[in-house]
Amino acid sequence: MTVLTWLPSFLPGISNLRGLLEGGQKWVFSATHSTDGEVVVKLIKPHTADERVQREILAVKEINSLRVPRIFEDGVLRGTPAGVDLIWLREQRIVGENVRQILQRGPLPQNEIVALCSHVLEALVDVEQARIVHRDIKPENIIRGADGSYWLIDFGIARHLDLSSLTATAALGGPGTLGYAPPEQYRNQKRDLDSRADLFALAVTLAECISGKHPYIEGARDAPMVCKRIEGAPLPIPKIPWDRERKFTDFLTAMGQRRVDCRPRDASDARTWMQEIQNAFAGRP
Amino acid sequence: MQLKLQFGYGMMDHSRVLIDTWKGGSVILSPRDLSPVQLERLAGQITSLQGGDVLLDPQFYLPYADHERLTSHEYWPSAYSTEGFWSGSDIRGLLKKLVALNKTLGCKTLILPGLYTDQVDDDWIARQNAFMEEARALTDNPLYITVALAADAVKSDESIDELLAASEKWDVSGVYLLCEHPNGEYLVTDPSWLSNVLDLVAGLKLKGKKVLAGYCNHQMLSLAAAGVDWIASGTWMNVRSFPPDKFRAPYDDEIKQRSTWYYCPQGFSEYKVPFLDIAKKQGMLDKLAPPAELGSAHADVLFSGIQPTSARWTEQSAFRHYLHCLWSQAKSARRESFDQTVDEQERALDAAEDLLASLQAAGVKGQLRDFTTSLDVNRAALSVLRSSRGPILRRKWANL
Repeated sequence: MTVLTWLPSFLPGISNLRGLLEGGQKWVFSATHSTDGEVVVKLIKPHTADERVQREILAVKEINSLRVPRIFEDGVLRGTPAGVDLIWLREQRIVGENVRQILQRGPLPQNEIVALCSHVLEALVDVEQARIVHRDIKPENIIRGADGSYWLIDFGIARHLDLSSLTATAALGGPGTLGYAPPEQYRNQKRDLDSRADLFALAVTLAECISGKHPYIEGARDAPMVCKRIEGAPLPIPKIPWDRERKFTDFLTAMGQRRVDCRPRDASDARTWMQEIQNAFAGRP
Repeated sequence: MQLKLQFGYGMMDHSRVLIDTWKGGSVILSPRDLSPVQLERLAGQITSLQGGDVLLDPQFYLPYADHERLTSHEYWPSAYSTEGFWSGSDIRGLLKKLVALNKTLGCKTLILPGLYTDQVDDDWIARQNAFMEEARALTDNPLYITVALAADAVKSDESIDELLAASEKWDVSGVYLLCEHPNGEYLVTDPSWLSNVLDLVAGLKLKGKKVLAGYCNHQMLSLAAAGVDWIASGTWMNVRSFPPDKFRAPYDDEIKQRSTWYYCPQGFSEYKVPFLDIAKKQGMLDKLAPPAELGSAHADVLFSGIQPTSARWTEQSAFRHYLHCLWSQAKSARRESFDQTVDEQERALDAAEDLLASLQAAGVKGQLRDFTTSLDVNRAALSVLRSSRGPILRRKWANL
């Protein structure tokens, strides 16, 4: 009996359940809910690190943001045909493409870059307010909705700064995606980790969206070479023809600084900076 | 950016005259060089001048120091043991006495003690925090914490990052920053050292702290690019670069080598007066004259037409000329924008380079105080500052 067969009977109010993807840690379905409308249902596979999943759910529930899908409900399914209890959640579904899919058609133009940056920063301000660091900002985790707005998804490795870390302090590496995570994250320097790690990853993502190529991974032969590039030189920022006064370039340069202290103070500071840039583009003071 | 006077040996008269001439200014008092009675007397004289102000540097960098005059001050603990001092009431006792002494001297801002360190680690940070927490409970005056770094600590990127991270939580208005020069150099030839000082100043400023850089010479005019509020300098070389060893030595072993040096502000270099004779012989003396806009008349006699060594130009004039030029240069070092400030510094370095090359070709040598070997040091440090902090400094400059 497949999951699709028995799951509806465990989730009242759900209809039109369809498989979206199956990852190593979870099944993801789209569905319609009687009151919440279009939703995503995530079912966590057995033997996945329960505590990490529960913390993700806790983390996202604390975020109050127009740019992060809401979790409507979560819980534990007991007595399933799988023979084990399964953690599940139902969250807001954003219908659209992720940025990786968009990039397959080519680099993003100015208006999309500005919207992406602005909307993700709005999300990061809300995430920061909830004392959370996303830790996995990258094109795959940003969705452009049908109305052109950008959403931040997948808090699977998010860290709540007020909770103890799940990664051993002595571990050589922290969680994150190669090429997007800053040095303090992949070197597991917990004391230095805050929302500025997400700003770094956003800067890398934006640089990639502008040129269509990953600034660190393109042409690198292996992971150590990627890390060496990140730590050895400033973020390579492509020439941006629509940024004649280099205001946006300066902004990316600051966010993409290898050293934490050289980046904007926090997500709020970065968002204010971006608003100033948008005003400058619009000819407003 | 402004200049404060870093008190040192023989500076009582210089302090009074210069503050009076400038119609205001500050002296950082030195317990190492002044007895308790002298401290009070000088503080009274300075604060009675128009715009005159004093600060007291407690000079508690090396608590085990046995420098006679330092330990003669009432606030200095009679016996210092690491464990006893930090776990008992001794630290509060020290700070209470310092608060009282600052009040007696009329200091509006209190410089807190800070230990000299060659490594920024958890222990050092904890001790700095202890000074700040205890002091906050004793006074509402603005507080500046002393950060006294060995050359190795300044050069360590990790130490700088640790320090900046720790300073986020410091409940003080400012930092009194003392950075030991590498290898005892007067003019620093290590660009990485200067780059880190610039970075540290910029980082502290961006966190909303005031920064007073102590024991500076003219090379530190570059700190204007990092937004420093003040540099402090004085007469002898031991107040123009931070000399931790001088706080260990007994006061008999003080100023030994005395030569009179002429400071050429446009060349950032100093010359012994006989080399001005060479300049005169070579028809180049006027190139060494200070620009009129700096307003220093203290060296006029050297350019009055007679042979400079015959001009009987005194040590007193030399010191006042140096400090007056530095005061003027400091005032104009910071421009309206970050880029203008850095561009102007680079322009001044280029101009100095041309001047020094022509002087050297004519045999006019600054010897150990010739800025030629430091030109590229300053350039490199400014370049790193532009890359690492430029965008943010550019944006925040007006509020820095």
